[in-house]
Amino acid sequence: MSTTTSPPVPGARAVPGPGAAARRRPSFSGPRLQRVLLLVLLTTAAALVALAFMLPTVWMLLGSLRPGSQVISSVSPLGWHTLVPETWTLENYAALFGQLGFGRSMANSLWVALWSVVIGLALSIPAAYVLSVLRFRGREAVFAVLVVGFMIPFEAIAIPLAQVFTEWNLNNTYLGLILPGIGNGLAIFNMRQFFLGVPISLREAALIDGASELRIMTRLYVPLSVTTIINSALLIFLAQWSSYLWPLLVISDQAKQVAPIAIARTFTDTEFNFGQMFGGALLISVVPALLLFLLQRYFTQSVARSGEK
Amino acid sequence: MTTTTAPDAPATAPGRRRGRGLATIVVFLAPAVLAILLLRVVPFVGAIRSTLFTREGVGLLAEERFSGLANYVTLFSDELFRETLVRTLVFNLVLNPLQIALAMVVALLLTQRLPARGLWRTAVFIPCTIPLVGSSIAWGVALRPDGPANGILSALGIGPQPFFTSPSQALVSIMVVASWVGIGYWMLFLIAGLNDIGEEFYEAAALDGAGRWRTFWSITLPMMRRPLLFVLVADTVANFVLFVPVQLLTNGGPENSTTLLMFDAYRRTYTYSTPNLGATSTVVLTLIMLLIVAVQFRLLRDRD
Repeated sequence: MSTTTSPPVPGARAVPGPGAAARRRPSFSGPRLQRVLLLVLLTTAAALVALAFMLPTVWMLLGSLRPGSQVISSVSPLGWHTLVPETWTLENYAALFGQLGFGRSMANSLWVALWSVVIGLALSIPAAYVLSVLRFRGREAVFAVLVVGFMIPFEAIAIPLAQVFTEWNLNNTYLGLILPGIGNGLAIFNMRQFFLGVPISLREAALIDGASELRIMTRLYVPLSVTTIINSALLIFLAQWSSYLWPLLVISDQAKQVAPIAIARTFTDTEFNFGQMFGGALLISVVPALLLFLLQRYFTQSVARSGEK
Repeated sequence: MTTTTAPDAPATAPGRRRGRGLATIVVFLAPAVLAILLLRVVPFVGAIRSTLFTREGVGLLAEERFSGLANYVTLFSDELFRETLVRTLVFNLVLNPLQIALAMVVALLLTQRLPARGLWRTAVFIPCTIPLVGSSIAWGVALRPDGPANGILSALGIGPQPFFTSPSQALVSIMVVASWVGIGYWMLFLIAGLNDIGEEFYEAAALDGAGRWRTFWSITLPMMRRPLLFVLVADTVANFVLFVPVQLLTNGGPENSTTLLMFDAYRRTYTYSTPNLGATSTVVLTLIMLLIVAVQFRLLRDRD
């Protein structure tokens, strides 16, 4: 569980054991040269890949800092100024937070995602606990239904679900936005997997002391599995934060609209301003970017090894 | 005492604890079971029911009448739908292995000991945090006929390309939109998987005199089988319901060349106001998803 991100060395026999290195060193400069060449080649490849991924982001960032019309007008003639603005301005961001009310949409997104995490955890932790600690008939079946059912992305059944939500008067409500995101199959799977690894003797000791299941869960299992729970929270949060189809179906009230839809609206508007769009697209990336950078370890870990160890 | 097998709770608590055990099970499981019933089962059953009815007239408020499997017949005799189904399958068969292969190559590259590795890694990480809608906007503008992509192509002496406006290039352009964020995202998981391979395996291979290529095929790839399979299936789940770039950039066109199953269900329900056919399309999509997810579940379970 404690994979401190040590520098990985796959593929490359970067550091063969000390013995091997000693054996190799006195040899010719031939292999040595070859190794340097390979390093140069791989570094060049890495730099090119990095550039390919980064360039559109940089272009968006710089485009959001110039008057919107220049994003396209600067393309011909192609040159340095296609990327770097001649005139720098914050007017796109001013418009986004001013007349476009994008701050409100961002706040809505945040509100929805946070509540989804809270409700989602409140629902999946007890389920995962019971499904790992207690033994009863049909346990595996319930587990399979929960995980498989919630793993199907809700996009797949979003359209019929939207019709059900209309009947329940959940259109244009925050609850309507929150509810579909609370179930996450992977979260339940990972948590159960982790709970199964908690030594049963701990729980038995607590039971003998007269502790209730609720107490054992909240005082024993939850503190032991903080990593897995953070991972589950991230899965729920990120799915809700980037949700697009669902809010498109259930929200028409501008005041309750979430950020991805708000920014997409500016794209389909007749008077589009690419600078504003780029600014908005970057703004909605800031939250997931921060979360992933801070919590990267939690994010990938349990998927890669599914909460074991 | 690290038993990974299921503990035997009732054995430790005989008699009166039984009843309390049952109450615990019900109370602890109720919210999750209720959620799956209301948010998955009810709408899915509703959708199936709605596929068995047709409407008198057009629109959401029209009178409904039971018609058996008529909607399925209508849908599958519709050439556009059959094309959409095939297109969605081909799209996934091409895109998913491609994305995962590229993610794997980049993951391998970025886990080598290279100068300034942190810098390259960060640069690839950044786009993977951008939501699909952001990627759609970026590429939607970049691939405009008068956009910078054509500017660069012209400068290179290759003529400008139509991208989203041509039936032969639009779907590939959609793939670019999905891959720019997708490759970096799946790479995160593959890097984690690569980091999990113990150093000792590589040391042993080096001692045995295995070359770089041999080490990759005999150690890295076999040890990465599970992360790779997991990521491949999860990627498939994500791409089967790909919707954002289609709705935002091409609206399924030109000439339906970018109409994927998810967009088809959306368009039949909302644009064409034929909710029953839309539901039929949704049910077909959900059944395919169910199948893929069941495979994913098996993959996860095989771990222990």
